[in-house]
Amino acid sequence: MTKVLLVEDDLDDRLLFQTFFADRKDIYLLPPASDGLEMIEYLKSIPTDDDLPDLIVVDQNMPKMNGKQTLSFLKSHKRYSRISVVIYSTYTDNTLVVDCKKLGADMVALKPIDNEGYQKMMDDFLRVI
Amino acid sequence: MNDLSRASMQREIDQLQAQLNEAKETLEAIRNGEVDALVVNDHQGLSLFTLRSADRSYRLFIEQMTEGAVTLNHEGLVIYSNSQFARLVRQPLSKVMGSFFSDYIYEQDRPLFKELLSRGWKSNTRSELKLTVGDVQLDVQLSLAVLEMDEDTALSVIVTDLTNQKDIERQLMIKNEELRRLNDALIASNHDLQQFASVASHDLQEPLRKIQVFSKFLKDKEQDNLSSSAKTYIEKIFSSSQRMKMLIIDILTYSKLSGDNSLADTIDLKEIIGEIVDDFDLRISEKNARIEVSGLCVVEGNKGQLRQVFQNLISNALKFVAPGRQPHITIQLAKPDPTEVGILPSEQDNYCQVNVSDNGIGFENNYSSAIFSLFETLNPKGAYEGSGIGLAIAKKIIEKHRGFILAKSKVGEGSEFSVILPFKQPNFIG
Repeated sequence: MTKVLLVEDDLDDRLLFQTFFADRKDIYLLPPASDGLEMIEYLKSIPTDDDLPDLIVVDQNMPKMNGKQTLSFLKSHKRYSRISVVIYSTYTDNTLVVDCKKLGADMVALKPIDNEGYQKMMDDFLRVI
Repeated sequence: MNDLSRASMQREIDQLQAQLNEAKETLEAIRNGEVDALVVNDHQGLSLFTLRSADRSYRLFIEQMTEGAVTLNHEGLVIYSNSQFARLVRQPLSKVMGSFFSDYIYEQDRPLFKELLSRGWKSNTRSELKLTVGDVQLDVQLSLAVLEMDEDTALSVIVTDLTNQKDIERQLMIKNEELRRLNDALIASNHDLQQFASVASHDLQEPLRKIQVFSKFLKDKEQDNLSSSAKTYIEKIFSSSQRMKMLIIDILTYSKLSGDNSLADTIDLKEIIGEIVDDFDLRISEKNARIEVSGLCVVEGNKGQLRQVFQNLISNALKFVAPGRQPHITIQLAKPDPTEVGILPSEQDNYCQVNVSDNGIGFENNYSSAIFSLFETLNPKGAYEGSGIGLAIAKKIIEKHRGFILAKSKVGEGSEFSVILPFKQPNFIG
């Protein structure tokens, strides 16, 4: 079972994640972090590397530390660099995609608007990790 | 005695008359420039007078000039001045004559003038300096030239008033400064505007997406609890938010075009149009549309942007078709008409024109330029979906490529859009 951590400042989006993925048998949702800093604290609190998430889904548009900054933190720390990271956002453009790929993101996705979209997005994520 | 004296007086008169006639003739000759010198027998004996014909014509000439003109002797005294110079220094002409010219020079410029003077006696020279007139300084240009006069020489000084010129120079400087400031402000505001468009569009999209998500939720999860009219309302909320999303994305695309984009690709228009037709595959088969593409050209530019232009044009051609009619779109090369776009006939061969014509609903020809304006839509909302930005985007892109876009149409019969692109872009380094 893939351990998935969501880093998302938007309460609605955290709820949607929970709503759509709670029933999925192939993933295990870790308690979401509301921004990059909270994620760092959370990851630090995990004692053994085996318990680290397999996939971190990061929202791009967040205060304090945005998706790209969170991504580059993860990729530049040896302990976390092997974790798959995907960026998702309400809006993407070529610049964001290129930048995130350069920083080591496994995928950049558009936030879906319905259950169908969410399931397909997660399928895509699981395929790339 | 009386008779005698009368006779001698008559002789005297005749002689004087003859002398007067001679003098008149001489004067006439002098006037006509026939005589250079004459000998006059006066009470001091014979003396030679040269006719200063050169000097005279010089005086006549300089009196006609709009510039100040003075003649200086070796001591720097004004031996002749035209009235313009006297007016320039606001002195009576009689006072100017016999004064030292250096007295009119602004004190700080006097060393400069002294130097100019010594140069001027050797060869023609000119320099800008200031005169003092009353309490103010006057910018002038002095042009110095040596004049041959009799056996002597004099220095001719032409004084050009530079007040107007300096004023204009000053104004020009102020205007240039103003322009620079305005330009800076414009760059700043343009940057702000782009930032604004980008931030607004991103931030607008988040709540919009929530509207879509939750109206979908309502529709899917609460289906059993909703009346049929409630379902209709939710459907309307959803389609409105969908439409708004399209508007925001188009605005974002449009605002991004203001930035610097490179025109460094070599683009085979046939290739990109082929790609677009592939992308529209579903819509084409849904509408059973017929698309004919023939002999296109290769141009320089931004591939993504030109793709967008033809995507918008083809999308429109598929969209604006009367219900039940089979869309028929032709995309082909044409020869640019110089009179239509304002290029020189000699430049005609530097351009490639692609016509995209359809058999759609068309529009009235007096809207043929308005349709390229931002948010201009000619059809009632709901009948034909559109943000009114697509053609504005196309026009902006084509203009960035130094090209032209034109539209012609007949209501009910179809439209023809002509994209005229230069084959080459300046400073192309692709």
